Amino acid sequence: MKSTFANIVSSLPADYADLRFEENRKIRIGYEGKELTQVATTLTSGGHVRAYANGGKAISSFSDPKRAGSIADATCASALLVGNSREKKLKIASAPVITEDFHIPPGRDPRTVSLKEKLDLTNHYNDIILQNPHVITTQTMYDEFTSRRIFVNSDGSIIEYELVNVGIFGMIVTKKGDVVQRVRFAFGGNTDFSPLLDREDDVRKQITKACELLDAEPARAGTYPVVLDPSESGVFIHEAFGHLSEADGLQNNPSFRAKLQLGTALGKPILNVTDDATLPGLPGSFEIDDEGVRGMRTPLITDGVLSGRMHSRETAAEFGEPLSGNMRAVDVQFTPIVRMSNILIETGNSTFDDMVSSIDNGYYLVGAKGGQTSGDQFTFGAQWGYRIIDGKLGNMVRDINMSGELFSTLQATSMIGNDVKFGERGGCGKGGGGPMQMNRKSGKGSPHIKIDAVTIGGI
Amino acid sequence: MHPLLENAKRTVDQAELYWNQSHSIAVRYENYRLQQVTENDVSEASLRVIKDGKIGSAYAVFPDQEGFLDHAVSGAQYGDPIAYSFAGEADYPKLDNYNETTAQLQSADLIEVCETIKSKLQKQLPDVALRIGANFEKSELAIQTTCGAKAEAKSTGVGYYFGAPFKGAGIGVFKFESGITPPVVNDALLDEFVTWYNWGNQSSTPSTGRLPVILAPEAAFLMMMPLLAGVSGEAAWKKTSPLTQRLGEQILSEKLTIHENPLLVGSTDARAFDDEGVPCAKRPIVEKGILKEFLYDQRVGAAMEQPSTGNGFKRTMFGSGNETPINPWFACPTIDPGDTSWRDLVKGIKEGLLITNGMGFHSGNYPQGQFAVQAVGFHIVNGAVVGRLDKTMISGNIYQDCLNVAAVSSEVGSCSGFLPLGTSPYILLDSLQVAGK
Repeated sequence: MKSTFANIVSSLPADYADLRFEENRKIRIGYEGKELTQVATTLTSGGHVRAYANGGKAISSFSDPKRAGSIADATCASALLVGNSREKKLKIASAPVITEDFHIPPGRDPRTVSLKEKLDLTNHYNDIILQNPHVITTQTMYDEFTSRRIFVNSDGSIIEYELVNVGIFGMIVTKKGDVVQRVRFAFGGNTDFSPLLDREDDVRKQITKACELLDAEPARAGTYPVVLDPSESGVFIHEAFGHLSEADGLQNNPSFRAKLQLGTALGKPILNVTDDATLPGLPGSFEIDDEGVRGMRTPLITDGVLSGRMHSRETAAEFGEPLSGNMRAVDVQFTPIVRMSNILIETGNSTFDDMVSSIDNGYYLVGAKGGQTSGDQFTFGAQWGYRIIDGKLGNMVRDINMSGELFSTLQATSMIGNDVKFGERGGCGKGGGGPMQMNRKSGKGSPHIKIDAVTIGGI
Repeated sequence: MHPLLENAKRTVDQAELYWNQSHSIAVRYENYRLQQVTENDVSEASLRVIKDGKIGSAYAVFPDQEGFLDHAVSGAQYGDPIAYSFAGEADYPKLDNYNETTAQLQSADLIEVCETIKSKLQKQLPDVALRIGANFEKSELAIQTTCGAKAEAKSTGVGYYFGAPFKGAGIGVFKFESGITPPVVNDALLDEFVTWYNWGNQSSTPSTGRLPVILAPEAAFLMMMPLLAGVSGEAAWKKTSPLTQRLGEQILSEKLTIHENPLLVGSTDARAFDDEGVPCAKRPIVEKGILKEFLYDQRVGAAMEQPSTGNGFKRTMFGSGNETPINPWFACPTIDPGDTSWRDLVKGIKEGLLITNGMGFHSGNYPQGQFAVQAVGFHIVNGAVVGRLDKTMISGNIYQDCLNVAAVSSEVGSCSGFLPLGTSPYILLDSLQVAGK
């Protein structure tokens, strides 16, 4: 199959072409309350072709591998159609030719674990949650994704690689009177089944928080100084800054390209941000991206100054910057787009107590609850929080969403903790000009940080 | 009956095959330049089986994929006992959402649509980072069960969009239009885009406090997604819905009447049958503010001792498609219009907000009716727009704040955001909590 695909792309009348063929398997086991709602296996396969011709680009996905040749021809013709209409031609940065296979690192391979064991484990954690009298329902999900991929391109790269991601995650829903609260839990999130075991204490901690939230007060609207826990600050740097460091989002946005020239001072010298696919055992770690470029470590902010960017081969050529190996596609129906691997705020010198004691009237916000970004605007939620009054933690608060603008918020990041922690489960939604791709393999890490002012929505 | 089902009948009690085959083309322009053509030919199938009273499921590319039936049967040995059967034979309502001319569209046709938009907008907004796109899809969906259901539909959908961030800003204006028939570029939509874009040349931050707010159709999801979470029969079953036990009660303003309208003419999300092969029908969900009905699929309906309302869809807030488990969801929600022009609503506001989007909605406690989002839209002062919203959040609870609706516009537009393609008017709420200056 590899040689067939390699012959197809090498024979196209294209500036550059590549083809990715995938065989994927997903296993999902889901509980909602006491009900086992799914034990489902998904088997998908298919291909994705990209062609650049006369500086134009076209892409296609297909289900039937027998049609790979004709689809590739048509894709190349479409690329030529685009190229003929463009004065400014798209280019591709040169990349090393790779002819190598990449397999998952050692660990307990989830593919070797029986469906029964996976089911029993998921049921076990779900049962623990259901024992609490305040819990009215749960969502507990075992999620396993394995992918065998073949990548060939017209440069001569022929690569076979695997992706594995396994985790258990869910939602604890509690109720008291009219107040209903939800707290998430997640563990696993990499290639190894072992971290899914013996996590009862972690589940119980989240149950406790979900119960405490029932008596918490709603957040009050306004602008406040905040301390973010590592989970929240990981989401902040991912949503607010990370997406603007993905060059495909800047490629056609002149005003942000101008604002984000390498060498621009974005924050205080204490701020260092890195994207690193090479860190072992994290959700966003990988050997090779879906464009045949090796994953690597890319400093993004060094001593407060913009120092790097995440690229595809196309954007690296356009920006004249180095390759970063960040092109990822979640499934065969999608084209690779530039995505963070594991983004992190590097460790600082402050302690959590230093941060809290520096605030007269603010909030300590805990637990990522998703976020959204558009250009320099960001919004994200916290699972719970605490008032900070006169330098001390106060009452618990609930229903917190905050928003801000990237550049002023980076400048307002005034303290960085010495306690870097990565979230176990990755996740990121991005369209990149196409349909939304929900990527499991996106890690986020950070210490506690203090931001001097963010807007909080509340009562 | 599909051969897979004939085969399945030998080993399971019941089986249901869902098979969708689609061909799609998308063209995208960036900064007035053609950037990319995308063409996809995709097949996806799902199989549910009931064996010994337990359900199992599997997903594949083609129905004849090796191991497809075996995986579904394997899942069924662990599945919970279920209290319903797969859909049986039914008469489906007529729904004309296939157009032969649309089915023949090629990338060159979509490029022509984009070029029309480009030529009209480039004259008025030459320096903006305009994104234009056009999409086309034709699909064939078939749902068959061993119980006699045989639902088949061919559909076409085509649409175009255009949008641009305000200069130097991360947010902007986005407009789209879609339908079943070949597209004709709507000049009124282009004019509105130019007007809104120019409104956003200045930024403005409103006062902190309670202010009147107009939800544009694009922002109707801020009310409709919490409502969907509330009227989901599943939430009522699990007692997580704030609407449990409130059937027949006033939950929203009497100015609001909301239908589930799956047969909506021209909507690319219109459906004659749901993803379980159950017929769809127009239903009142909220009539003059009074809660009339919950949405059920077969599983939830059985648990609540109610028939399915034909709302079993493979949809969630963040996607849809073959692998998404079926759950109660809107096909095409519509909100009835009122009798006031939306521009007159703006003129009557001393200080308020016109909301066109809300960022971060999914991070909030929306299943309880709450939302707290970064406000995207425009600041209104003395009856006129003074600029785009900046550093502004709005928050509230639809079951409190949408009880007091001052007016509903006579014009309707397409819902977007997380919702399927229904329609909504502009809705003027008496007030929402605003965090601004």
